[in-house]
Amino acid sequence: MTSLLETIVDPRALSVCFQPIFEIRDGVRLIDSVEALIRGPRSTKFNRADILFDYVRRKRAEAAVDRSCVVAICNAAQLLPSHMRVNINVHAVTLDHRSGFVEFFKRHTKERSLRLERFTLEIVEHAPTSNVPQLIDSLVALRDSGVRIALDDVGLGQSNYRMMLDCHPQYFKLDAYFVRGVAQDAKRIAVVRSLVALAGTLESTVVAEGASSEDDLSRLAELGVTFMQANILCPAMPLEELQRLGHLEGAQASHAPSGAAVGMEMCVVAQH
Amino acid sequence: MWLAACSPAGMAEKILIIDDDEQLLSAYREYLSERGYEVDCAQELEEAQTLLAFFPYSVVITDLRLSKLAFGGLDVIKHVREQTLQSRVIVLTGYGWPELKSEASASGADTFLQKPARLTDLGAAVDMLIGAKA
Repeated sequence: MTSLLETIVDPRALSVCFQPIFEIRDGVRLIDSVEALIRGPRSTKFNRADILFDYVRRKRAEAAVDRSCVVAICNAAQLLPSHMRVNINVHAVTLDHRSGFVEFFKRHTKERSLRLERFTLEIVEHAPTSNVPQLIDSLVALRDSGVRIALDDVGLGQSNYRMMLDCHPQYFKLDAYFVRGVAQDAKRIAVVRSLVALAGTLESTVVAEGASSEDDLSRLAELGVTFMQANILCPAMPLEELQRLGHLEGAQASHAPSGAAVGMEMCVVAQH
Repeated sequence: MWLAACSPAGMAEKILIIDDDEQLLSAYREYLSERGYEVDCAQELEEAQTLLAFFPYSVVITDLRLSKLAFGGLDVIKHVREQTLQSRVIVLTGYGWPELKSEASASGADTFLQKPARLTDLGAAVDMLIGAKA
């Protein structure tokens, strides 16, 4: 009998979608990078990332599954344009104990001929980090190798001020909770404004996730946010779909039309 | 589709079956699906907990002994009751120990069936609980 966990730690059971992260300046939308988003075994409820990783966390199997995800993502990333940078979600617990993840990550990307400079690791934190010194050591080793660090879900849960100071990420990924509807909400505007100011002081950059309207995008731009990731810009989708729709061709210099999702197969964007 | 398998809104009633015996799970799933229920299966506690966190189930059917080490079914019952009072719980057990049965009952089990349960008995228990719920 094969358990669900045994199935999941086999990278072949996982599939990968990519969602572009746009840099928007003066109305010009350029794809800066793509976030790799894992989907669980097809035709099961665990295909949805939020369900899959809820289970993984209950099993306390984050480290094993994160490795499996890296393998699946690197396989998919080999087919991306060679300049395209890739964001990968990694649980803090994977980095903060002596799992050997950093060595594994370096070795695996090298075997796949993928430059480390192409990667940003997004730290996902659902439980208090117990071994901060080990986490920091891992992050320093990654950063020294050219990997960028992002703090995911900023504003929620354990992605707090302490993590900002301890991890010194290059990117703060502001959770969609604070972004969705920002155009009409003075309190959300205040949150975004304060984070942009903080990021400036800490030499980090804010990435706003989950804007739900053009008004949100405009207001975010006014507030000084230039990096945005949202379904209304482009939903997560399999690489073949991104390629078929031409999103990755000349991505560095093209305008991505608003409502680019029209007619696309939607993937559920449920980041872990 | 059997009328009994539909909620008042016309949606198929959702059932979660938890058992570490893959063959039994498969048989229960097939039988209850044929009766018009929407059936999910889990083979371990954590898998069940995740499904319960995301989906509302009208009936949860759980084996009392989920691993060879522990009576994980009791944890399932407690977990269901922490999540909702709406779901009905059927406990499958090969054990006749009255103290276990009484603990399961105190934890919120609605009905007990002796393992291996006959498919018709299982279907009747589900129909009865869903009928009672409606």
